[in-house]
Amino acid sequence: MGTSYLYNRDASRLFIAVRDNGKRHKLFIPKESKPAIDGVELDINFVEQEDFHYTFEWKGKSFHCELVSRDQNKAIVKVNGVEYKYSIESIFSYVRRGMINSDANKIDENNINAPMPGKIVELFLSEGDLVNEGEAILTLEAMKMQNEITATCNGVIRKIKVQPGQSVMKDELLVEIQSIEV
Amino acid sequence: MKKRILIANRSEIAIRIIRAAHKLGMVAVVFKSDREPEAMYLRFADEIIYTKDSSNEKAIFLDSQRIVQLAVEHNIDLIHPGYGFLSENPEFAQLCEDNGLNFVGPSPQLIRDMGLKTVAKSMAIEAGLPLVPGSDGPVRDAQVAKEFADKIGYPVILKASAGGGGRGMRIVEKPETIERNFKSASDEALAAFGNGDMFIEKYLQNPKHLEFQILGDKHGNVVHLGERECSLQRKHQKIMEEAPSASVTPQMRQEMGDMAVRFAKAIGYFSAGTIEFIMDEDGSYYFMEMNTRIQVEHPVTEQVTDVDLVDWQIRVALGEVLTLKQEEIKINGWAIEVRVNTEDPQNRFSPQTGLIDLIKFPEGEYIRIETGAENGSVVTPYFDSMIAKIIVTGNDRQDCIAKTFEALSNFNLNGLKTTVPFCRAVLQHPAFVDASYTTRWVDSVFNIEMLENEDEEIIASLAATIMYAQEYLQLSSDIPSYKSDRLNVWVLNKRLNY
Repeated sequence: MGTSYLYNRDASRLFIAVRDNGKRHKLFIPKESKPAIDGVELDINFVEQEDFHYTFEWKGKSFHCELVSRDQNKAIVKVNGVEYKYSIESIFSYVRRGMINSDANKIDENNINAPMPGKIVELFLSEGDLVNEGEAILTLEAMKMQNEITATCNGVIRKIKVQPGQSVMKDELLVEIQSIEV
Repeated sequence: MKKRILIANRSEIAIRIIRAAHKLGMVAVVFKSDREPEAMYLRFADEIIYTKDSSNEKAIFLDSQRIVQLAVEHNIDLIHPGYGFLSENPEFAQLCEDNGLNFVGPSPQLIRDMGLKTVAKSMAIEAGLPLVPGSDGPVRDAQVAKEFADKIGYPVILKASAGGGGRGMRIVEKPETIERNFKSASDEALAAFGNGDMFIEKYLQNPKHLEFQILGDKHGNVVHLGERECSLQRKHQKIMEEAPSASVTPQMRQEMGDMAVRFAKAIGYFSAGTIEFIMDEDGSYYFMEMNTRIQVEHPVTEQVTDVDLVDWQIRVALGEVLTLKQEEIKINGWAIEVRVNTEDPQNRFSPQTGLIDLIKFPEGEYIRIETGAENGSVVTPYFDSMIAKIIVTGNDRQDCIAKTFEALSNFNLNGLKTTVPFCRAVLQHPAFVDASYTTRWVDSVFNIEMLENEDEEIIASLAATIMYAQEYLQLSSDIPSYKSDRLNVWVLNKRLNY
């Protein structure tokens, strides 16, 4: 996903498009910038629309789209004359349907535990935020040193168990993260 | 008095003929069929004959008697049949002649002869044209078949003389299996058609389809205008053509062209016509048949020769002398024709009918569009699925392929699926680029994944997601309010510079 989350951390703008052949794309649709698809912000411009037809421009080329049919979250879209069949899931429905390969151990792996005893200084994110792998989630002060604790995967912050000023023990659960690797 | 020409056809070819008629100062008359009362071609005509279609099964364009009767009533001088329908029907041509109407095409007798394969082939042999090696008549038994096959070489094809639909037909790869195959095919034919007679012929595994355009007048002058390659076919029907062919050397062009002219002269042919050859992988070629009409793909020849074929076709029908000289006819550049058929290449080319919401053609000085459809046209199940042709001319083949690809990228049709993405895939395929493609390409090489493209797949996911997100995000408070019309998300996203 790269840095694209930083424009907007709203996980409700993250979607998974699953093609009928099983191929998936992860799309982040920000409010005021370009979409990020499969982790890369793409310079796609929306050019025009007329009824069920719309045109995008990308890489100097035109893409004529037509909505062929739509049923719940399933859509057939024709692009430049070729039909593509997708079903769209929000990241939440996607997780709920268990479509992400996340056994219990894996969830534990992604959760953030305190690496040492100390005190929570600052939280950078809130529950429901998207987070990139390697991105700082909070600072933990221990032995007069401030340590940035980072996410180990791209994901959604499900639960924050601590508050600033709170003291924690070694290995105490700090943050639950749901991986969104698809 | 202006000559009056009745065009017994519809769609793009009707418009093409009207253009030629106007160039010659003629009054162009067309039929309005109640199957497509608002067809585009009607607007181009000078006069329209309103008529009820003859029956549910028979559109006016197929009713010889009615056409001729109406032509006489409307003081018509010439009838142009276009292609398809009655264009190669000798009885229709005869009926025109009997009623003092000038049929734009060869004589009824020539149409009849060329329509009968055996007659056409024997006339070709007389004129010294090569034919696919095969038995002249039925072979007596499996032993004779084997001796014959050993002589002409494998693979061979065994065909029941009464056969059809693939029954009583076998392709034999090697001598060991010919006797067994002969017996089973013969038994099959006997059971199915009551006749077990078998022919044997050399089987061309990967043939190319080449055809020579000729023009002849009523005074014995005939020229050829080079070849077209029409190897790209689906369901035995052409879908993309080019002129010239990369597989024909200048020497072959002269040889085959001379042959075509010799044949046309030998049979006393006049009008526009096409002599079809099938070419084997080793470059040997054989006469297949002759078409006596103007063909769908005639524009590629016009583009590279700068000769107006429909104009000449009408002029020679009027008895004009063909002033074109063979040595003056030069092939310049390259042309490709893409047929825009409303068929779904993702679903075995199944025909699509319905409304064309929007049709947008590419534009450019090297692009020629022949169309019978426009925004709002309806594609009915009554007529064939070809609605338009995109013809692109380039300096050479490579240039032409690049320009055609670009032209197709600027084609857009909303409402129905077309063969355009298929042709786009063909233009990118190595076998087309190196010109090694054959008539078997669609069956043996093509698969529907070739139609797809990664960028378009991504755009499709984006379009689908935005549509879904519109409803989903509606619940979210940070979205400006809008009506619950699903289109408005697009307005919204546009506002968001998206």
